[in-house]
Amino acid sequence: MVSSGMNAGRPARSAFFAAVLLLGLLCTGRAQVYEGRELVQASLLADVNAVVPGKPFTVGLLLHMVPHWHTYWKFPGDAGIPTEIKWNLPPGWKVGEIQWPIPLRLDEPGDIEIYGYHDEVLLLQEVTPPSSLTESAVKLSAEANWLVCEKICIPGSAKLPLELPVAGQNGAANEEIFSRYRRFLPQNWPDPKVAGASWKRNGSELLLSVESAALANYPAAEFFPLPEANVVVGHPKFEKGADGKVTFRVPIETADEKAASLNGIVVFGESANGVARNAWALSKSNAAVSTIGPIESGLAKFLLFGFLGGFILNLMPCVLPVISLKIFGFIQHAGQSRRRILRSGVAFIAGIFAWFIGLALLLILLKSIGREITWAFQFTNPYFVVGMSAVVLVFALNLFGVFEISLPQSANRGLLGWTAQEGDAGSFFQGVFATVLATPCTAPFLGTALGFAFTQSGWMILLMFVAIAAGMSSPYLLLSAQPAWLRLLPKPGAWMERVKQLMGFFLLATLLFLLWVVGAERGVEAIIWTSCFLLALSLACWMKGAFVVPTASFTARIVTIVLMLVLVIGSAWYFIGDKFAATKLAASGPVADGDWQPFTPQRLASELEQGHAVFVDFTAAWCLTCKFNEATVLETSAVRDAFRRHGVVKIKADWTNADPEITKILRQFGRPGVPMYVLYPAGKNAEPFLFPELLTQSMILDKLETIPPNLAPK
Amino acid sequence: MKKKLLITLLILAAFTALYFLREARRMTPGRGAPDSPAVGTNAPEFSVTDSKGKTQSVSQYKGKYVVLEWFNPECPFVKKHYGSGNMQKLQEEFTGKDIVWLTIDSSAPGKQGHLTAEEANEKITKLKMKSTALVLDPDGKTGQTYGAKNTPHMFVINPEGKIIYEGAIDSRNSTSAADIPSSTNYVKVALEESLAGKPVSNPITRPYGCSVKYK
Repeated sequence: MVSSGMNAGRPARSAFFAAVLLLGLLCTGRAQVYEGRELVQASLLADVNAVVPGKPFTVGLLLHMVPHWHTYWKFPGDAGIPTEIKWNLPPGWKVGEIQWPIPLRLDEPGDIEIYGYHDEVLLLQEVTPPSSLTESAVKLSAEANWLVCEKICIPGSAKLPLELPVAGQNGAANEEIFSRYRRFLPQNWPDPKVAGASWKRNGSELLLSVESAALANYPAAEFFPLPEANVVVGHPKFEKGADGKVTFRVPIETADEKAASLNGIVVFGESANGVARNAWALSKSNAAVSTIGPIESGLAKFLLFGFLGGFILNLMPCVLPVISLKIFGFIQHAGQSRRRILRSGVAFIAGIFAWFIGLALLLILLKSIGREITWAFQFTNPYFVVGMSAVVLVFALNLFGVFEISLPQSANRGLLGWTAQEGDAGSFFQGVFATVLATPCTAPFLGTALGFAFTQSGWMILLMFVAIAAGMSSPYLLLSAQPAWLRLLPKPGAWMERVKQLMGFFLLATLLFLLWVVGAERGVEAIIWTSCFLLALSLACWMKGAFVVPTASFTARIVTIVLMLVLVIGSAWYFIGDKFAATKLAASGPVADGDWQPFTPQRLASELEQGHAVFVDFTAAWCLTCKFNEATVLETSAVRDAFRRHGVVKIKADWTNADPEITKILRQFGRPGVPMYVLYPAGKNAEPFLFPELLTQSMILDKLETIPPNLAPK
Repeated sequence: MKKKLLITLLILAAFTALYFLREARRMTPGRGAPDSPAVGTNAPEFSVTDSKGKTQSVSQYKGKYVVLEWFNPECPFVKKHYGSGNMQKLQEEFTGKDIVWLTIDSSAPGKQGHLTAEEANEKITKLKMKSTALVLDPDGKTGQTYGAKNTPHMFVINPEGKIIYEGAIDSRNSTSAADIPSSTNYVKVALEESLAGKPVSNPITRPYGCSVKYK
């Protein structure tokens, strides 16, 4: 204090002890002794040995914390308060903003991140004296308030004096400490040629892109935000891009889309929290801002991609049976009027669009009410799977010829209230049905695009789905609009009946898969009860085929229909509503197989804590792509050996029942659903690596070669 | 001939699709969303035991407003609001309006602020707490579900089960009770606005306080 100002030559340390000594006498703040230790020792220093009227100088609040305790930066992060300095200055004096040295980013349990200082910090402020001073010495004082925390937090405060002589000239004081902390201050943002910064708001995320070869060369780069008081931000994440470009992703809770940029500092150095770090202060004026996400450039590409993905859906095994029927329809209609063909084609296309748009609206609705939305989410609901099984079976029976869905003309006119256009309604539902069946087949083609769309606005989701629907329906549109092209298709004949029956078996295979999903979700008993219900349903279908025919009397038809209804509703009530509902969730399904460990967040955390590299397979029983990847890549001996050789712990996260813990992690990686494959390299700060949805052996083998060996023996 | 053309087109389409697949993958946005459930969304369910041994959950209070208050009796920010009687006053006022107020302690055993049921009941008496229940969440599960970062960290859930407010207790990040009279109490404002049928003007604020002492 006095001593520190007067004796420029003395090391800061002794000034500091003198300050401590005085503190004992002068400090009127709350005593901050915890378990016998003074947690923070505070003092004021000046960088000059005397005040020259009108000439600004710098003062510093020196806080000395006992080991492991920290005080806070200007933005404290998830907890804490920034240190506060209230000056008591004579009239005519001015004091500037606090200049904060680069803080440390500190982690606390429970994903809490704070910004603060360990051991020691000097908070600098410029003080400007008035241009004339009459007294021979000035007595300044400031009240400092801080919060110091380790596992617990204790507020502290001190009234600190600073006494300096007034002179016509002055020299430097406390040079070492002031120059040390000035080096720690963030620098002004460099020339845009050195580092061009731009902000983009992308839904609930702010993206800061910095194009700077200089920055990209540092192994550690971080963004510490300085949000305005009413802006709530999450933890920024760093991503290194190609060509000297780095991106920081800052989750933002503030819904106002106008909040599209932040102040903050970009910190870089050899290591995170390292001693030799530098920082650039980013203010809003340094960075270009656009409120539109990167979708603009990607939009056309994504829509085209959705279109092509939709087109390819037609060839998927789950869709083929339905599609083949439609093709048959075209073949049969080949000789008919062009208008008729067009109408049936349009009805089919309408069915495809109806499903996709309906799904998009549902997703938008779910998203707007904040539900975690995920692709193929409906398959995580066992009742949906049972319903699908029933539909698939009924359709297969129809293909086998057990009964006809569309009866000639008037037969079902009275029954179902359809008009003579039942052909069109049939086409419409074929379209819907084809698309419903397509859902489990979409992941490999559309997963990424949908993942992208889900992070966008509702309009984007809708557009994406429309693109997919357009892609899927494009062949039919072409065939309907240009019946001449129908000549490309083979001539109708008795072979069609055979192909239909064959397709029926395709559907039965799909049914087996669905039942297996039911089993994975609810266990063997659930399969049995579902099968019982399906048997009753088949019987009802047979009854319809046998007795509800135009040749039967009206009474016979009515009686049969009543019996059918009783059979279907009764068995659904008993087998599904009662027996099926009583089955328990299968205990994590097929997870315990082989050398895989079942996923829990705790297990993942503890394996990482122990310094193991971890590979997590996010999978689900109903996910065909997952099964395909497992069979062709993950369970091959080459990949298994590689995992063993590198000591990678393998964890299987089974999302069959939409485990919310797993959903959370999928969301963290921006994925709408499974499959997802993540490799966490050993070592605390190693960034997890995300594999594509479709794996190849070489992807895994190559990646494993690049990770550092395990830090701990397995 | 035409068939061949069709097949060629198909193969071309497949390749284009693969190209876009790769492109798309490169552009897929990544990780990182705020961990708290967003305001306006359904409040996540929890089921925890309170100091009296009763089970407390969000769903059992459907049809009522529920206030969640993260609590750690040793935290200076919490002491600010309890020492001054500010928190108890709020609890009394709103529980009097048939609003459920759950005070939640997510401190892990061995960490600051951890309370056994018995200690919790002593605290209720000593601090004259007026909340509906003091809920004990020593494994931090409920706290993590809500992304509760601070004590006090406040959430307000409306009768439909939606979160309508998340953030700080009031507008002044300090440990000094002297600041309370000049602060805007966000929780009080949110409840009063919502009770009057108005939208909450400040639905998200930056919470302040100690970190929750998770294990």
